[in-house]
Amino acid sequence: MNQNLETLLEIQDLKSQRRELAEAGEREMQEQVFGLGVDEALAKLDEKIAEMEESLPPPVKSRYRRVSTRLPRFLVPVINGTCYGCFVAVPTAQASDSERNAEIRSCENCGRFLYHVD
Amino acid sequence: MELREFLAEDAIQLDLKGESKDEILKELIGLLGVDDKSQGILFKMLKRRENLGSTGIGKGIAIPHCRSLVVNRLRLAFGRKNGGVEYKAIDDQTVNYFFLIVAPPLEVSNQYLPVLGRIAQFAKEPDVAERLAALENPREFLALLEEKGV
Repeated sequence: MNQNLETLLEIQDLKSQRRELAEAGEREMQEQVFGLGVDEALAKLDEKIAEMEESLPPPVKSRYRRVSTRLPRFLVPVINGTCYGCFVAVPTAQASDSERNAEIRSCENCGRFLYHVD
Repeated sequence: MELREFLAEDAIQLDLKGESKDEILKELIGLLGVDDKSQGILFKMLKRRENLGSTGIGKGIAIPHCRSLVVNRLRLAFGRKNGGVEYKAIDDQTVNYFFLIVAPPLEVSNQYLPVLGRIAQFAKEPDVAERLAALENPREFLALLEEKGV
């Protein structure tokens, strides 16, 4: 798997975690069940996200900034050959390539980065 | 919705071998049957959640959990470590029982929070720790979930 794609995937996962943690239901659950200090946790997540963004090489970072500004879900899975951002089929050759996560690819329709899930 | 809908018998391990928090987390992830790369990413995400605050909720029970794009549906695993491991749990006791939850960021039916809630509710039952200690096989664990109505 491409190292920069892995970093992008982790940034997307952390941003999802952050967004959900800030929502009322999850916040309440995390505070009551786990005794988590949510505001402090959100600040730590922001710090980690910024650190990972800075670790991207300039061309990837610039592409990431462009896509993520427009689309909060900037990286989406491809499941059964379909982009789960816009639900349009990705080209067959790309979907069936065994090394499909070896480079950073984008959906030709919506522009999101793609991560192929088996 | 019932927890067993998300739990296959081969995702239940009543004799975890790990001797540390990290080893236990890796062993639990291994029960999900995902590829090596995905296992590595899930481990990092679970560690990041643990670094925010332990998911050990007391009475020997932990609920490590995360969301990640590397899974395409909600998955559960259960593990028991005889003797327990140090987990920085809320009550400072070692942890013996682990409920792992992983889910994609966006689920169609958004079951992540209800599943987390059901496990937390199950863990609060006064006899649960004792019953988990007495389990002899995965089928008994599934029967216990059914008996408790979770």
